[in-house]
Amino acid sequence: MNLDHHESFQRMIDQTLAGVISTEKEQSLREHLSTCASCKEYLRASNRVIAGLSGFSFEVNPTLNARVLAALRLQMQQDSAARPNRRRFIRPYTVSLKVWAAFAVAVSMSIVGSALLYEVARYLTVPIHFDNAQVQAGVLVFWLLPSLCAAFCLFAAPVEMRGIA
Amino acid sequence: MFDHELTSGAPLESDTQRIALGLRQRDAAVLETLVEQYQYRLVRYLVSLFGRRYGVDDLVQETWLRVMERGGSYDGRYRFEPWLFRVARNIALDTMRKRPMLSLDSRDGGGVRSSPASGEGSPYTLAARTQDAERLADAMQTLEPVYREALVLRFQEDLSLQEISVIVGAPVSTVASRIYRGLATLRPQLEGETA
Repeated sequence: MNLDHHESFQRMIDQTLAGVISTEKEQSLREHLSTCASCKEYLRASNRVIAGLSGFSFEVNPTLNARVLAALRLQMQQDSAARPNRRRFIRPYTVSLKVWAAFAVAVSMSIVGSALLYEVARYLTVPIHFDNAQVQAGVLVFWLLPSLCAAFCLFAAPVEMRGIA
Repeated sequence: MFDHELTSGAPLESDTQRIALGLRQRDAAVLETLVEQYQYRLVRYLVSLFGRRYGVDDLVQETWLRVMERGGSYDGRYRFEPWLFRVARNIALDTMRKRPMLSLDSRDGGGVRSSPASGEGSPYTLAARTQDAERLADAMQTLEPVYREALVLRFQEDLSLQEISVIVGAPVSTVASRIYRGLATLRPQLEGETA
């Protein structure tokens, strides 16, 4: 048996220990191990390392549990004390002046941009034979509605998602 | 033949559902039970990430506060441990980013290895209770944190590779490779010694 052959079985041993080996491979590994001393030694050493890992026992600070539970209780009390106020003032705090201003700018730009686009599109309708109603519909569907939707999304988005400096 | 066979270890679904419900309702009794039940394992996992004992208690407390705060996102469909360890890991990584003397992202030997704070003994030397553990202590201390983490999660926490993969945010193949390399680093420490 050559070295590569053993290495492939040792890789299978690693896979078995990691829990990723197939049933067929495991069967062939079992057969190999019954005759191969070096691979059996490899498995024994690996199992010994794993058993050795269980030989570590960390000391937990005896006051840690009490400290954690006290912190949890305190946090619960603070949360329950803060909750009614937060609910009462949720709108004024979440919709700040900055957001109102950004919303107003976005709506104004939608309307002004739509008006400009409408004028340009109307000018271009002559050579491409569109009538006025088609231009109006196009501007409404492809420009005004999407930009207004974007403005409302900005308004409705959670604070951290608004991206307003 | 294999001392460490795959263990099912999975709690009844009703247990995880009970935990999920308790966390959603911020049930103090459920939280207290979880703290009692998982505290040691959390400490052990965080020591494996940091390679030191100093500062771990603060992270443990921070983890439980985050568990209470984000408990609603645990749906109880899977075991609680992977979710808990993922929360702990995220907090540990945040801490490392703020104090970048340690990094988990050490790529195959290129990164900074963890060391105990000055004056503090190696946590693994202090925690060794058997002869083999004593022989492994130094190697565990100098092992890359990602390998040490994979070994602890697989062989001490009995988590599957899929669960570890979710915790560490890496593919299953990467987790497997970390386990192989971790074992390969530790194996020579026990060679030539009889059990």
